[in-house]
Amino acid sequence: MTLRPLDSLATAIVIAAAQLVPRVDRSDWIAEWRGELWHTAHQASGEICELAGMTPLRFSMGAMQDAFWLRAACISGWAAHALRRGSVARCTMVLLSLAILGLIVCFALPRSRTALFANLYPDARELVVLSSKGQEGTRTPSIHLAEYREWATDTAGLFSQIAFYHPAISALHIPHHATPELSVIVGSSNLLHLLGAMQPGDRTARSQETGRLFLSRSAWQRWYRSDPAIFGRRANVTGQAVVIAGVVPDSEWHLPGRADAWLLEDTAGLDRLAPNAKGFVIARIRDSAFPPPRAGWRWMVQMRHGKLYRYACISLASVSLQPVGEFLMALLLAVLALPATTALPLGDYPLSGEPLRRWLIARRWLFLGSKFLLVAMIVFLWSTAMAFASQPADLSDAAGIEALAAFLPLLIGFRWVLQDQRKRCPVCLCLLSKPARVGQPSCNFLGWSGTELICISGHGLLHIPELPTSWFATQRWLCLDPSWHCLFAEAAATSPESA
Amino acid sequence: MGGMPGEAKLSHTAAMILQAIHAGQIYGFSVMAMTGLPSGTVYPAMRRLERDGLIVSKWEQQSIADAEQRPPRKYYRLTRTGKATLEAVYKRYPLLEKMIPSPEMDRV
Repeated sequence: MTLRPLDSLATAIVIAAAQLVPRVDRSDWIAEWRGELWHTAHQASGEICELAGMTPLRFSMGAMQDAFWLRAACISGWAAHALRRGSVARCTMVLLSLAILGLIVCFALPRSRTALFANLYPDARELVVLSSKGQEGTRTPSIHLAEYREWATDTAGLFSQIAFYHPAISALHIPHHATPELSVIVGSSNLLHLLGAMQPGDRTARSQETGRLFLSRSAWQRWYRSDPAIFGRRANVTGQAVVIAGVVPDSEWHLPGRADAWLLEDTAGLDRLAPNAKGFVIARIRDSAFPPPRAGWRWMVQMRHGKLYRYACISLASVSLQPVGEFLMALLLAVLALPATTALPLGDYPLSGEPLRRWLIARRWLFLGSKFLLVAMIVFLWSTAMAFASQPADLSDAAGIEALAAFLPLLIGFRWVLQDQRKRCPVCLCLLSKPARVGQPSCNFLGWSGTELICISGHGLLHIPELPTSWFATQRWLCLDPSWHCLFAEAAATSPESA
Repeated sequence: MGGMPGEAKLSHTAAMILQAIHAGQIYGFSVMAMTGLPSGTVYPAMRRLERDGLIVSKWEQQSIADAEQRPPRKYYRLTRTGKATLEAVYKRYPLLEKMIPSPEMDRV
């Protein structure tokens, strides 16, 4: 009465499928399937099995469909009909589930959560990046230290705070340890305070001592093993003695330049930078100055030597939107590339019968539009999660990763949307089924051959030519009149063939 | 369908299964062998036919199964409604009886 060891997989499938069967029917259902499986296994070489072309493993696969059917039968009639395979509701539910899953993943990752659900900097509209190279200046350093010095004193009426920083690679000497090379942001002493990244209650952070080193949380954990006793101790960064002043969460820094640590210097300390060193300048607009423009403005400055320079003041709020901007660019490129990968026509031209009613046409377009929207949303959420999960150095890096991660899935997704729409009945919007090959390839191209698909609810047939000709170039939809419906009455209900 | 014999709106697959049971294939695996349909089609279709009152199932006696050292099987047979439905289905699928001859046909 026992099954052979090789059939144990088939038994496992039956037992797994049984979990879908309603509890009240489960024991009876398992008994029937195990009994039948036993007979299949013991007659596997017999005539009866050759007739059915059945192995125990193949036989057990049907248990899954049987269990699904029983589960579906528990759901009320309209719900079972709505959720059957290929239906609009099922397709929408799958897409919505993917979108919700993407949202959950984004929410679970701190950096993507901040990027999506909160401002990267709470008062980003009042903060600007000063650039001498337009938008490029938000990605690469463009301001000399000397220029910053002039502005720090001359723009007090316009900016309440102004800070400078220069990304550099520096060696951090840790006693009795290796000397790792870190990406250190060498900046003016008010940099972190201006960005709101400094904890106000942190005593060491408020210290005005020169050469204060703030470690990123990941660098602190990696190189100091999260030792809380290091604050206030002296360290050595490329030969310069500094004081370790605090730790800044990695998610607090979104400006250009990778940051393992921030070395905040006073005016004299900044002078140690090379004379031609370029950096970034961040400023906070004074409340009484003017309402800050949404994206920023251009600014003509006359330097002390009398020469006029043009600078751009770019709002940090617009810089924060870089990933969204890159995603929209990827979206545009995917839309432009779409015609090269698939045909655009939906190919449902009625050959006979009455034209489709307006509300049916509207519903079809609405479904198509919602699929495009959901696919775009899914790709946006997942590419955002991927961009920020990969620990990008700054927002520009995250935006670049997002664009790369989004383009191909968008293209494939949009291609699927069109192909899926073409395979749906224009009346009930369910996926067409029962593909059948019709005809033979014609020598003179006058005979039609191709694939015929049928709407399980009996609304019509779809003919897809194997070889497009001038007289049958695209797929065509053939409406069936109501006299055919008796043949499909059972199929339209929830049945094993349709479920 | 709702078990209305007069309407007889059975798909060809369901009609084949009903005819196979009528022809004496009284458990799922023999129905598969007779019709050539896969298990994933036959068993759910039999559940539906049972739900609609066209067939009924009954477990084999445990003593018989024990005597033959095998698990008991679940047997199916047509109800009166099922027979009436099958008669109506013959009009729609005239070749059905020839594909799966029933005992009455064999006797003829």
